[in-house]
Amino acid sequence: METIKSDYLDEKLDQVRAKDFLKYRSGDLPTWCPGCGYFGIMDALYKACRELELKHEDICTVSGIGCSGRTPIFINSYGFHTLHGRSIPVATGLKLAREDLTVFAVAGDGDALGIGGGHLPHVARKNIDITFLLFDNSIYGLTKGQSSSTTPHEMKTNSHPVGNPDTPLNPIKLALAYGASFVARGYAGDPEGMKTIIKQGIQYKGFSFIQILTPCVTFDKTNRTWKNLKENVYNLTLHTQADNMETAMRAAENEPFGVGLFFQDKERLSYQDILRNLNS
Amino acid sequence: MKDINLVIEICGSAGEGTISAGEILSRFMSAQGYEIMSFDSYPAEIRGFGKCVAHTRISSDPIYSPGKLADVLIALNDIHSISQLSALKNKGILIYDSQPARPHEEDKSVLGWVDPGVISYGIPLTMLAQRAAGSARGRNMVGLGAIAAIFHMDKDGFTASIENRYAKKKKIVIDSNVNSFLEGFEWAGKHIEKIDSFSFEGVTMPLQKEKLIINGNQLVARAALDANLKFYAGYPITPATKIMEILSKELPGHGGTLLQTEDEIAAIGAVVGAGFGGIRAMTATSGPGFALMTEFTGLSVMAEVPAVIINSQRGGPSTGIPTKTEQSDFNAALSGGTGDCPRVVLAPTDTFSCYQATVLALYLAEKYQTLVVVLLDFFLSNSIRNIDIPEKPSESLLNANIAPLPEELENYQRYKITETGISPRAIPGTPGGIFFSTGLEHDEYGRPNYSDKGHLKMTEKRYKKYAGVLTEAPIPQISEFEGEMADIGVISWGSSAGAAREAVMLARKEGIKASSFSSMMLSPFPEKELIDFSDKCKKILVPELNYGGQFANFATHIIKRPLERLNFITGRPMASEDILEKMREM
Repeated sequence: METIKSDYLDEKLDQVRAKDFLKYRSGDLPTWCPGCGYFGIMDALYKACRELELKHEDICTVSGIGCSGRTPIFINSYGFHTLHGRSIPVATGLKLAREDLTVFAVAGDGDALGIGGGHLPHVARKNIDITFLLFDNSIYGLTKGQSSSTTPHEMKTNSHPVGNPDTPLNPIKLALAYGASFVARGYAGDPEGMKTIIKQGIQYKGFSFIQILTPCVTFDKTNRTWKNLKENVYNLTLHTQADNMETAMRAAENEPFGVGLFFQDKERLSYQDILRNLNS
Repeated sequence: MKDINLVIEICGSAGEGTISAGEILSRFMSAQGYEIMSFDSYPAEIRGFGKCVAHTRISSDPIYSPGKLADVLIALNDIHSISQLSALKNKGILIYDSQPARPHEEDKSVLGWVDPGVISYGIPLTMLAQRAAGSARGRNMVGLGAIAAIFHMDKDGFTASIENRYAKKKKIVIDSNVNSFLEGFEWAGKHIEKIDSFSFEGVTMPLQKEKLIINGNQLVARAALDANLKFYAGYPITPATKIMEILSKELPGHGGTLLQTEDEIAAIGAVVGAGFGGIRAMTATSGPGFALMTEFTGLSVMAEVPAVIINSQRGGPSTGIPTKTEQSDFNAALSGGTGDCPRVVLAPTDTFSCYQATVLALYLAEKYQTLVVVLLDFFLSNSIRNIDIPEKPSESLLNANIAPLPEELENYQRYKITETGISPRAIPGTPGGIFFSTGLEHDEYGRPNYSDKGHLKMTEKRYKKYAGVLTEAPIPQISEFEGEMADIGVISWGSSAGAAREAVMLARKEGIKASSFSSMMLSPFPEKELIDFSDKCKKILVPELNYGGQFANFATHIIKRPLERLNFITGRPMASEDILEKMREM
């Protein structure tokens, strides 16, 4: 039996380590399936942190449960893997306690729109200064392929073998309707574009909502595949100035998926700034 | 010196000034140097004509319970007062409106329902209020004026208390209230032929230290501010809402933040988030909210993040009886949630100890990196006492986090196994302290780990911390029957402890050899002390305000012997009279 030379592996690892964005990568190996879109998201996240020169110890990533829940393990920063659907309230408390930290809240589609759907309107209307990353693969992956809140109507899943009877939610429209003041969409196949969006989200003082389209290569072979996504995304900047709610709503109609910044309210104050004004 | 020990009740319809009259009475009596305990009951509905009762016990000796029956009933509303007569002693005194605005039908006059032993004084409350201030609104003050005259209370002191109560109102409001009081005072002085023997005349109470007139909710908020609380998240729920309202005013000035959340899950979630961030955080709720918060109890314990929940119990289960008192969340507080999930549970036994319990809760949560539940109840939250101003917590109680030493940060293990079970905790922002926390079982670095040995080791670590907690627990309150084996030992908890203690004192006067035991610390429980106590008692009685005997069941497992139970779910606080009666039967 032929074995791979260890020299070869070391050499490859050295090459990988040489890329300095890896500084933000923790020593733990991701538990995601090969080909998962989440690897692209992580690359974008590492790069965004590097380009903004954030100190590791000043970042805290809060996640819920599901495949996305593991995200904080793979970032070389403080991290808190909480409960299903509850990354938003925990991140809210953390940010209000520690304004000096950059706080990411991470959630999957089941996490953010199903079990934790009740928190989204409130974090948006309060405008808590956290960067919310919705890893949207339109399926429950960790429990092996059941319908989620963004699974297309009539798609066959393990919980709906003859087709999903429910109509999917449109996360961008929801965020806009809830009054989120920074609403954007990224695509896992475009780490560079996603990096730009995440950087903007971190810098935005207020609640930044970023939906990230990503495939589940294991449990969705028909709908949100790499191939379908690639053919169905376009760059949004050509279509909208991101300052108009109506244009943003129209651009948020389903496929093809516009990727980029939908809406941003530059005037609005974050929750903590509002509190300071009210109490002064 | 003559002893004063009496209960005065004012009964009226919502909006008749029943509660404010009771408040003035207690403030006046406190200013006179008496101990007071007052407890109002009112309907859950805001509008309508529900029955309100202001209940005030006044005593020249320490008060342990509110007293079950009233000596004096002031009836502002006849219909409601008829149903309140059952709470009047059989030789009590009734003050009623002798000339109501509309004549009562035969069976709707409170006078028609009194027992023969009751002394009834008819005062034309409505007429006098009209005469004094041109409106029937002042009937409550006329009533106070009448009892002041009949029982020889200090007129000027009383007037000053009324002026104080309305100090922030317009002059016309102050005047009409004072005038109504004086009208009642003069009329009763002239027309009432006194046939009872109650009198405050000749009683001079020694001057006391400045007292704080306060309820449990107010004390919890005050204690939290004194104990360095910097974050509060909550959702409105009776009877805990007042804690949030006070902190919403006070926290910003103390450098803290208050967050009103969309539900109780978000409230405890935000508290856990803030606790992870390294500041002191808490929330307050009642049964239905606690049910939702149960989702986070496991995470706080598993990820070892400080969190404090104040649960002011009301009648349950489900929405239950929101404005009545009960002690039925004992089981939920001790074991609500899944898995092997040890947590700290404290239950103050009186108003004063609400302060102590809150300070201790915030300290223990921070030091032992765990969940602390404080069990209040509707009675403790809302009953008003005059207490000595509590001493502020010492510095050692204010900064309790055990931070990692520089050498420990070199290969930092957030969940390091230690002698005490406490692992040094880095706060986000600490260079070199980076770690990852999870609700999954984990290794010493916090990384997910599902091995059988690992799970056992970490579970043991989490349990081990509670031995330390027990060493810092307040000593149980024990009153032993001196010298001999007691015939009856009464074991109680929470707000029932005062009544139990009082019942034991009364029983001894009757020659019953009795002892009492209560512990503010419910989890971990001072088991050894309870066993020692039990060994010195022939019979054990556990009185509590729930149907199933939740604490009695718990105690049985510790003392391993049969015990007598006394359970009430009337919505009223525990009465020493009821415990005493049970003791006589035993």
